[in-house]
Amino acid sequence: MTALSALCDALIGRPRDAALVGGVGLAYAGLYLWVIGDLAPGGGGGLAASFPAWERVWQTRGPLYFEPVGLIEAGPWIWTFSPLNTLLALGLGLLLGGNLVLGWRVRHAARHCAWRAPGGSLLAALPALLAGGACCAPMLLIWLGLPLAGALIPVLPWLLPLAALLLLASLGILARRLAASTS
Amino acid sequence: MSRWRLTPIILFASWLLLPLPQPMPQARAALPTVEAPRVPLAYSLQEFRQAVRSGGPGKDGIPSIDRPRFHSVAAADALLAPGDRVIGLYLGGEASAYPQRILVWHEIVNDSVAGRPVSITYCPLTGSALGFHRGDAELGVSGRLVNSNLVMYDRITGSEVPQMLGVAIDGPLAGQGLDELRVIWTTWGAWKARHPDTRVLSRETGHVRNYRRDPYGSYAPRRGYYRPQSSRLFPVMAESRRLPPKASVLGFRTRQGAAAVTREALRREAVIELAVGDGHYTVIRDAGLATGWVFHNPRRVTIRVDELTFGPAGVSGGGTEALDPINAFEAMWFAWAAFYPETLLYGAPEDAP
Repeated sequence: MTALSALCDALIGRPRDAALVGGVGLAYAGLYLWVIGDLAPGGGGGLAASFPAWERVWQTRGPLYFEPVGLIEAGPWIWTFSPLNTLLALGLGLLLGGNLVLGWRVRHAARHCAWRAPGGSLLAALPALLAGGACCAPMLLIWLGLPLAGALIPVLPWLLPLAALLLLASLGILARRLAASTS
Repeated sequence: MSRWRLTPIILFASWLLLPLPQPMPQARAALPTVEAPRVPLAYSLQEFRQAVRSGGPGKDGIPSIDRPRFHSVAAADALLAPGDRVIGLYLGGEASAYPQRILVWHEIVNDSVAGRPVSITYCPLTGSALGFHRGDAELGVSGRLVNSNLVMYDRITGSEVPQMLGVAIDGPLAGQGLDELRVIWTTWGAWKARHPDTRVLSRETGHVRNYRRDPYGSYAPRRGYYRPQSSRLFPVMAESRRLPPKASVLGFRTRQGAAAVTREALRREAVIELAVGDGHYTVIRDAGLATGWVFHNPRRVTIRVDELTFGPAGVSGGGTEALDPINAFEAMWFAWAAFYPETLLYGAPEDAP
């Protein structure tokens, strides 16, 4: 079994695992959008949407942080909607969900087949998990008012690409291990 | 073809090939500045430049409002509570209010009031609001900070100006001071009572933001980043613990020095006399707007409190007629002390009898 087919099988082969990846992806995307300020309380309780600024879709507010094009009000929440921020959030969330499911599958396969995963499978996903959280960490520091935020801001532009790279690398490694354990 | 026939043809062709006279580019009035800034410079421009650091967003990542739209008091009443903060400007007989909830997302409004181009600026991290005459230039948000304070840039020359200093520290205008305007940091209820016909900046800014939310906290009551005891985020050039970091002071500067008055002192005393350098200054409390008006009072004219009147243009009567007004603005203490470390502070708890 190749790594790619193991990956596809693990992520979308079983409805339960696909739902888990999607669920983690959505939860992470919501958290990410909340931390960057796109999703916030303040809604009046109703449901309304307006998209008055489509021309700003590519305009940036910071590194990998884009201008919203519309305002969606849903219950107590207000979502200043940027398609690109949403795509980034979903992309990272799905990568994180994929890592979790794959990590669990590798661990399960290792136990089931009495096969020992080199280095420990969940340990391999740890840097990726930390990187996934790192996207939000500096902004949380700002909210908490810790003076460290000033020092962390220069590294902020690098955290998002770094997180995506680590999550992708971890996904690749886990897929190879899963393929090895099932072949 | 004979030479006498050829010559006019060559001349005509040459005339056709001549470049058309270009219309003169329309001269734009640059940012109005004063050669000798009316503020004390505690540090060299080089030291200020070295203290500049990134605030996170890039240049214009916090977008200024360049085509502001306004609405009436009645429309604003549906969106603003009486205790909500606004920045008020009265210029040329026109009153304008700029809600803090909008400026916290944009920091600068490039506006025209009574035919005069002005920039209304607000820095949420230092709680300071200042107005500047801007000529044909627009001010933008550079995305950089000094002492946590907004560094603005002039879109004609690219010169960079920390808002609370009002002096360009970088670019072609380095060393020159901006022409300041008095703006009032007050509440919507107080501003509306003083200026019932004020126009109010609308939420139709051309950008999508959640104007119901302040990402830093709240002023009524003071929460989050605005809590007086809460810590600052970025390093400062000088530190003072005489007041809580985010305590609000009313400050003014002259070439000879700076002075700050605590909110408590301003609430307690109707008139405060201060000596800054060789100069004498008088601060008059405006209870209606919860602010103070500052005058240069070299002859130490006695202010007759009972005869003071507070109108749209500020305070008048009571001996203020012959006095020169001095610009003043509210700011968080940590930032004031960082820009003006030699400042006089009036009303600190340690001075209480």
